[in-house]
Amino acid sequence: MAATAEEPPAAGVREVLAELGVAGAETAALTEIPGGASRETYAVELNRGDGGSRRFVLRRDPPGAESLVPQAGEFRLLRLAAEAGVPVPEALHLEPAGGRFGTPGMLLSFVEGQSVAPRVLRREELAGARAKLTAQWGEALARIHAIDPAASGLPEPGPDPALAQIEHWEAALDAIGEPLPAIELGLRWLRANRPEPVPPAVVHGDFRLGNFIVDERGLAAVIDWELAHLGDPAEDLAWLCIRSWRFGEDSREVGGVGDLEELLAAYESAGGPPADQDRLRYWSVFGNLKWAVICARQAHDHTSGLRRSHELASLGRRICEPEWDMLELIA
Amino acid sequence: MTQDRPEAPELLDAVAEFLFAQVRPAVPGELRFRTLVAANLCAVVARELRAGERPLREDLELFVSLGAEGGAEDDPLALRVRAAEADLAVRLRSGELDGRLVETAVALRAHVHRKLEVARPGYDSPEAAG
Repeated sequence: MAATAEEPPAAGVREVLAELGVAGAETAALTEIPGGASRETYAVELNRGDGGSRRFVLRRDPPGAESLVPQAGEFRLLRLAAEAGVPVPEALHLEPAGGRFGTPGMLLSFVEGQSVAPRVLRREELAGARAKLTAQWGEALARIHAIDPAASGLPEPGPDPALAQIEHWEAALDAIGEPLPAIELGLRWLRANRPEPVPPAVVHGDFRLGNFIVDERGLAAVIDWELAHLGDPAEDLAWLCIRSWRFGEDSREVGGVGDLEELLAAYESAGGPPADQDRLRYWSVFGNLKWAVICARQAHDHTSGLRRSHELASLGRRICEPEWDMLELIA
Repeated sequence: MTQDRPEAPELLDAVAEFLFAQVRPAVPGELRFRTLVAANLCAVVARELRAGERPLREDLELFVSLGAEGGAEDDPLALRVRAAEADLAVRLRSGELDGRLVETAVALRAHVHRKLEVARPGYDSPEAAG
């Protein structure tokens, strides 16, 4: 049966689970997990009848919003990443056109662990995990970047992946329509200082704290693949290191837990191509600019009435943080 | 227009204190972060009101010094700053300032600093940098 966009599609999820042969599918109950800024996420809980329960996750587009990578693309990437040895949730079922999930969405296995960034950074029981994360991130990135770009189904970025990204985020800024001179300056600097193009690789595009599920053993899953694209792999390395993703642990530049040398050593020993300092600096300028544009866009989603949320609105006043870090890198 | 005290920033302080000290501990866990965001927004707006017109005047001066035009002299200040900011953005996009991008980046730090003073004081202090 088709579900409406506005309600949690419990009946549709039960039907899909039954098709997958999951016992107790008819008991599935949906609870929205808050915090997803650009996709809706639901915890799906089944009562097995023996006192135990089993969980899944439903991710779908919010009604009215269009995502950057269609759900079908994200679904395919999750499967490729799993084959490449990247820890990811298992991609179980896709409803590309909405159908039984109300809006385009996918059903995933539930990965136990913590994803909320400040908790990953500060919870005592995760101290051992934090010591391992930097090396695990380096290894996971090397595996992601080794995925066959042709099999990914992602669009070709053209002769220069940097230019493709500049144009993408310039267009995103134009769609918002707010004047941001520091960002305009950054776009010009990025155009003028492009590094030698490298063969395009699969780039996760949002590889940072908040998009990792972490348990006592460290990295349990890499989630939120909707910004994935083909590009320069150094883009992912730099993004992981920008200051916004340190969540206050500013002195540890890799996601608030580690240092760059350790990340690069793990990345290169897992087969990642060597990344030089200038290339990383370039993509750090880009990363800060991209985060500033995302902040502006999410604030705009609120002011335009697309999704009213004071949390999205507040991001309008955070644009200046990555702007500052970007200017520091340029001048 | 005059209003009786508390003044607008003082009222926002009161709401922020209430949200932070009383609402936050009382709401379910999933609402705590959102409550904190709401309290912080009140604090941001209170700082913006207290800063008054000074940052607007300084930004207007800066944008004009970089070659932007700020609209009619008798327009309200906020409108003139917005017009100058938009004009500077267009000039940057056109490539007009490509010959002095680094100098312009240095100059724009003052503008971004003024935004941070309201939104996130201390973010740009040397001790805070990673």
